[in-house]
Amino acid sequence: MNLAVEGHWDETVRPDGAPSPAWRQLMDALQGLGRRELLLRWERARQLLEDNGVTYNVYGDPRGVDRPWQLDAVPMLLDADEWAGIEAAVSQRAELLDRILGDVYGPQRLLREDALPPELVFAHPGFLRPCHGLAVPGGRHLHVYAADLARSPDGQWWVIADRSQAPSGAGYALENRVVMSRVMPELFRQFPVRRLANYFQTYQESLRRIAPEGRESPRIVLLTPGPYNETYFEHAYLSRYLGLTLAEGGDLTVRDERVYLKTLSGLQQVDVILRRQDADFCDPLELWGESALGIPGLVQAVRAGRVTVANALGSGLIETSAIMAFLPSLCRKLLGEELRMPSVATWWCGHPRELDHTLAHLDQLVLKPALAGSPRASGEPVFGGELSAAERDALAERIRARPHGWVAQEKVALSTVPTGDEDGLQPRHMVLRVYAVTDGDGWFVLPGGLTRVSSTRDSLVVSSQRGGASKDTWVLAPAHEPYVSLLPKAPGPGDVARSSLSLTSRVADNLLWLGRGSERVEAGVRLFRAVFRELSDEPLRPADAPLPDAVEVVDRMGRLGADEGEAPLEDRVLAAVFDREQPGSLAASIAELHRLAWLARDRISPDSWRVLSRLDQEFTAPTVHPALRASAALQTLDRSLLQVAAFTGLAVESMTRTLAWQFLEIGRRLERATQGVELLQATLLEALPEDSRRLETLLDSADSSMTYRARYRASAELPLVLDLLLVDELNPRSVGYQLSGLDERLRALHRAPHDAVRALLARVRETPLDELAALEPTEDGPRRTTLESVLRDLATGLPEIANALNQAYLSHSLQRRQGPGFRPEPA
Amino acid sequence: MTQNDAPNGTQASTANATPSSGPHGTRYDVVHETRYAYSEAAFTSHNVAHLMPRATDWQRLEGLELRIDPSPPTVQWQPDYFGNDVVFFTILEPHDKLVVRVESSVELLPRPELSLTQSPAWEDVATRLRSDRDETTLHAYEMAFESPFVPRGEPFADYARASFTAGRPLAKALLDLNARIHREFRYDPEATTLATPIAQVLEERHGVCQDFAHLMIGCLRSLGLPARYVSGYLRSADPKPDADPQPDADAEPGAEGLVGSEASHAWVSAWCPENGWIDVDPTNDVVPSDRHIVLGWGRDYDDVSPLKGVTLGGGAHTVSVEVSARPIEASP
Repeated sequence: MNLAVEGHWDETVRPDGAPSPAWRQLMDALQGLGRRELLLRWERARQLLEDNGVTYNVYGDPRGVDRPWQLDAVPMLLDADEWAGIEAAVSQRAELLDRILGDVYGPQRLLREDALPPELVFAHPGFLRPCHGLAVPGGRHLHVYAADLARSPDGQWWVIADRSQAPSGAGYALENRVVMSRVMPELFRQFPVRRLANYFQTYQESLRRIAPEGRESPRIVLLTPGPYNETYFEHAYLSRYLGLTLAEGGDLTVRDERVYLKTLSGLQQVDVILRRQDADFCDPLELWGESALGIPGLVQAVRAGRVTVANALGSGLIETSAIMAFLPSLCRKLLGEELRMPSVATWWCGHPRELDHTLAHLDQLVLKPALAGSPRASGEPVFGGELSAAERDALAERIRARPHGWVAQEKVALSTVPTGDEDGLQPRHMVLRVYAVTDGDGWFVLPGGLTRVSSTRDSLVVSSQRGGASKDTWVLAPAHEPYVSLLPKAPGPGDVARSSLSLTSRVADNLLWLGRGSERVEAGVRLFRAVFRELSDEPLRPADAPLPDAVEVVDRMGRLGADEGEAPLEDRVLAAVFDREQPGSLAASIAELHRLAWLARDRISPDSWRVLSRLDQEFTAPTVHPALRASAALQTLDRSLLQVAAFTGLAVESMTRTLAWQFLEIGRRLERATQGVELLQATLLEALPEDSRRLETLLDSADSSMTYRARYRASAELPLVLDLLLVDELNPRSVGYQLSGLDERLRALHRAPHDAVRALLARVRETPLDELAALEPTEDGPRRTTLESVLRDLATGLPEIANALNQAYLSHSLQRRQGPGFRPEPA
Repeated sequence: MTQNDAPNGTQASTANATPSSGPHGTRYDVVHETRYAYSEAAFTSHNVAHLMPRATDWQRLEGLELRIDPSPPTVQWQPDYFGNDVVFFTILEPHDKLVVRVESSVELLPRPELSLTQSPAWEDVATRLRSDRDETTLHAYEMAFESPFVPRGEPFADYARASFTAGRPLAKALLDLNARIHREFRYDPEATTLATPIAQVLEERHGVCQDFAHLMIGCLRSLGLPARYVSGYLRSADPKPDADPQPDADAEPGAEGLVGSEASHAWVSAWCPENGWIDVDPTNDVVPSDRHIVLGWGRDYDDVSPLKGVTLGGGAHTVSVEVSARPIEASP
């Protein structure tokens, strides 16, 4: 098996040219498993990643926000000696970059002493002037750092990128390890792979240590731009793993120069913000004014020393590749050492000699903007060799016009590493991202990392945005290490109280809607099950026959979609169930439920998430013979019902009885009551059709047939059905049960609309059953007018309760900016 | 603000004497009131204001009163990156209006005469700027790059080169550019908004003082020269004891004695190693002296906008601004 690519270093070969023993051992082990077994294991890994909801959001991808994370079967191996070199180099570099930031945001001696070109600071949009002179705890700006490393054909490692803004990927590295150790347990017994947990422990300690005013048990939040960010999965995952509250900008507010988390139980002071959002988006008052994601006043709170932001606001500045040209001399100057690992060869065009070199070698170089680093001013790298002569001239012109804005770098011929695909192992180019976190005076480097490989053999572009896969990265220890993990933290009583206190209004809102969504789906599944039962009972129904009763009911409830006249009834029903594009269809409700669960993913158990993912995947129109469509649909609905029930059961049962649970329950009760009212309105207001099975359908749709039979041992009779479905507070499917449950749930909330709920409950309890069941003559024929009026009150009262709750607890007014809106001139 | 029809033909006027300048300088009472009215209750509002006249070698701040309604629990004074005094305040109670009123007394002392002969060739200044690393030069260099409202580019350099001919002393070239912008651009408050890019201003040749200041800064920076944006006030017209329906032919527009936002103004400061920072006002083709009161400076408007805020709630809002800068007669 030859996996080398001419002109590139092969990771499986030792520096002396001999095959690496560790790699050989790994390949043997993989081969020992056999191809079939490997493929099976890989299917399992893929399923695990999908079930765990490990995603990487790709901008502009038609699959949208939910692209599964790609993990390759073959890990990347690094032996202890090699790792020692990388570890020392990354620590040193983190320290160096932190010192540079300290100077740039402080005395700026490096500029006066000509060690760093002032252009790279003053002309850089990432130099955040409001953050100059801000005190940072321990003098550190950088708390988390990552370096992208690549290996050249001679076996030398180079740093090709520095990540100081909000380094991403350590969470993916961790998840890669979790999945890998589950599908390849025997390999971990065979290889002494260094464990990752110590790094995250250090991470936790480090975040606690930087709390201002030496607070003993600081509140730490992970600030995320939200679910649409490319690495949102990681934000949710890391916050859970590190025990931090996941917060969006809108969850935080500044009062009196302190940052607070908006929770259902009021404002909770925040001491440390682990920032996964670019700094200029963080405070619309002093930083980028257009940011809707920011926390107005945050910079003032930092200035006042009341909150620590990690990495410090402004740290993104040193991500510019231009700085690499100056690191060797800066390292000697600031640390008194030689730089341990070189950066890829870099020429900053702001100096005449480097400009000349760049222009003379344009075809061999990669050109990048030197002053990017802010997402609003970034630019793609340009490969000079890929340009036509005319394009190259145009590029040269642009560089000459603004030389300080350009940096040229050598192309690295990336090393290759064996990577699995359907046809076996293939060489792929790779980049290794290594992470470091502050550890008091020094740095702790994650013994592992995120290895990413190119998507094709020939591509030298390694990017998760472009579909490249990742690898678990194994640093081999001399011997096996003891097991440590932060994951299955058994929650103590204190933790429960704490998590309840930190429930943000946004999360509560998501949970309420999640509860509503699951009930809406369940009600829909039950209704359509009744429809398909009816349809499959009479497969030869003539086209002009009246609508089957259950279809009539569904139509009245607005779930059938518009009647275009042409389509056969069965097609209309199928569309109402399976057509995701049709508003209000069952499929659309399921997609919405999936989305809601996704928004609340850090709050619901992994199992309930998994069930819902399956439901969403399965819920597609059955491709079967037309004659069997109804029965196939019935089967899908039967399965779906079990899945929805499993989801609700898992979500509700696996949650501690905290405020989060309360809101999920409130949502469920509200929606189930609403669905019940709508169902009764659609079925019982008029005299029942002759010979109809409507009462049976109704009992079935409300999952109360069994209760009815057990209780009354009789065929369905209207007053008894009405009692069971509307009034009976012991039947978990009745409207009355939902109202009394709502009443109970709302007791925990001080600002809830208690009176409105009790009024509705009284209305249901106090109206005599015989009046509810009685038909009165009206212009439209006999109708149950008392029932109609009670149901109408419920139908208007329930949304009002939802609104009142929303206003008291959940409302999110949008932030708006007032100025700098006026000009010094009369307009 | 006002466009001052400076006397034609004296393009390089360095000062314009006014009746109320005394031996000890000219004193002003400045009032700047900004009033927001909201259609719905605003809940919290975080604000940052650049509304305190800056003390300089030739400007003394003699008194300042800041009134904010509703009254914020705390008000923080804080110098910004450029040394301007900034006020931070937060309103936490529901409010349907926000009024920020600053009254200040300022004395303008005579500025040193601008010496044109001392000024070095502008190319030398650009060259030294790139190589010298002393603190003063570095501070100046920081003002030579793009900023949010001011791009650099060949069209701006090109426009400037008619004034910045080879070897011309920087101060002379600067005054020439100042006069050209005044002459070649039409003052038109309707033509542009805050969002109009200066490339469009250059192309269409009209705008207001802010546009002219940004444009001139862009011209200078495109030649590699430092320039900063100065936010301030221009002396209001004197109220007339007898209301005269016909304004004097040579009076400034807005000279009807109205108090309004017309006194807010913006101009440019350019740097020359020998002269330090030289203020020029391209809207009026003058070198500011005893009629220009400085609030503060930065790279462009974005750094020194008088009042910026982020409000939660509030619905639609209207804003009105009242500014006056009135000279006070020196006490006998």
